[in-house]
Amino acid sequence: MMDRHWTAEEVERFADREASPDDRHLRECVRCANAVLATAQMKAAIRGAMDVGPAPASLRARLTQRRSVQTPWWIAAAAVLAAIVVLTPFLLRNQPALPELVDMHVTIVGSANPVDVISTDRHTVKPWFEGRVPFAVPVPDLASTPFRLIGGRVVYWRGNQAAYLLIGKAAHRISLFVFRQENAPKNLGTSPPAVSTLSWRDDGLLFVAVADVPPGDLAALRDAFTHPRSEVSP
Amino acid sequence: MEDRRERQSFEELALPLLDSLYRYARWLSRDPAEAEDLVQEAYLKGLRGFGGFTPGSNISAWMFRILRNTFLTSRSGLRAVPPLSLDEEPELVEAIADGATPESHLLQRADAESLRRAIEELPVEFREVLLLSDVEEMSYKEIAETLSIPLGTVTSRLMRARQKVRKAFSRKQ
Repeated sequence: MMDRHWTAEEVERFADREASPDDRHLRECVRCANAVLATAQMKAAIRGAMDVGPAPASLRARLTQRRSVQTPWWIAAAAVLAAIVVLTPFLLRNQPALPELVDMHVTIVGSANPVDVISTDRHTVKPWFEGRVPFAVPVPDLASTPFRLIGGRVVYWRGNQAAYLLIGKAAHRISLFVFRQENAPKNLGTSPPAVSTLSWRDDGLLFVAVADVPPGDLAALRDAFTHPRSEVSP
Repeated sequence: MEDRRERQSFEELALPLLDSLYRYARWLSRDPAEAEDLVQEAYLKGLRGFGGFTPGSNISAWMFRILRNTFLTSRSGLRAVPPLSLDEEPELVEAIADGATPESHLLQRADAESLRRAIEELPVEFREVLLLSDVEEMSYKEIAETLSIPLGTVTSRLMRARQKVRKAFSRKQ
């Protein structure tokens, strides 16, 4: 039927026991039969050369020993995990949040790079948060207020993202933390002395403002956020 | 216990592959100590990922793949494999079979040790197809599955690997 020589690929496929042409040709063609034989011999030689013997007994022992060694390890890991899960709310959630937020305020305001997006333009800062925190961050127009926007960054609270806005009033710096309600601190506690703090809820978000300004200033800032000019004026 | 049962069935399926996996690890890393570490890590990963293994599917291709990925992300694996994918140049593949070349006769007489050295010098992509086909006797389909490459690439890579072994021998003699 087939009167041409086999291709190198056909020879190798045959030696590798893959689908190949009808082998009747091999009975009549010494050249192709030799090629198949040479490939088969080569395969056998490679098999011999690549043999490294059985896996070392020590390796087999290490793998089978795992059974007795690993069970306690998993139990220990599970126990630690369970302890963390059970205790975390008690240890962390119930701790007053304000002292920590005040520490964050002092750290950030004192930093050389307090914010990651530096802009007085709310149209720059608001979209910057998209995809960085799991909620829309309200950034009102502060133009007609004594406040000015400096910038923003992402902060973490108990493993969840929150938004941070840095707002200026004259020479003062105000930190405004914005949390999604479900990830917000449950217990704010009382404000440490020497700083003012003010928190309010609006539209599923918790706002916490921290600054060394009189409390009245923070109330004015809250009003700027809860009654934004852009929504009031036509 | 669920975990215990799972580990038991994993070991029943995977432990018989130990010699083969060790051999593969040796030929990937070319270092006995590293090979042992690779195999141990692959078994740990296999056990951890066993929930994702479809019962009845090819456990050996699955374990080989885990071992290979473990190697590729190891330090020597990152060194061994060039960041660019292999070019499957076809020009090395002869059109017509020519089994009676002097090279293949030399090859027949070659001792295992010099052949082993010649294979060791091949790039890892060629070493592994030779091992999977000639030693592990995997079909092209199983090799394709193990290496996550198309069937046609298996054929051409295997041919190139053998071509390179023949060439190495004709140079040597």
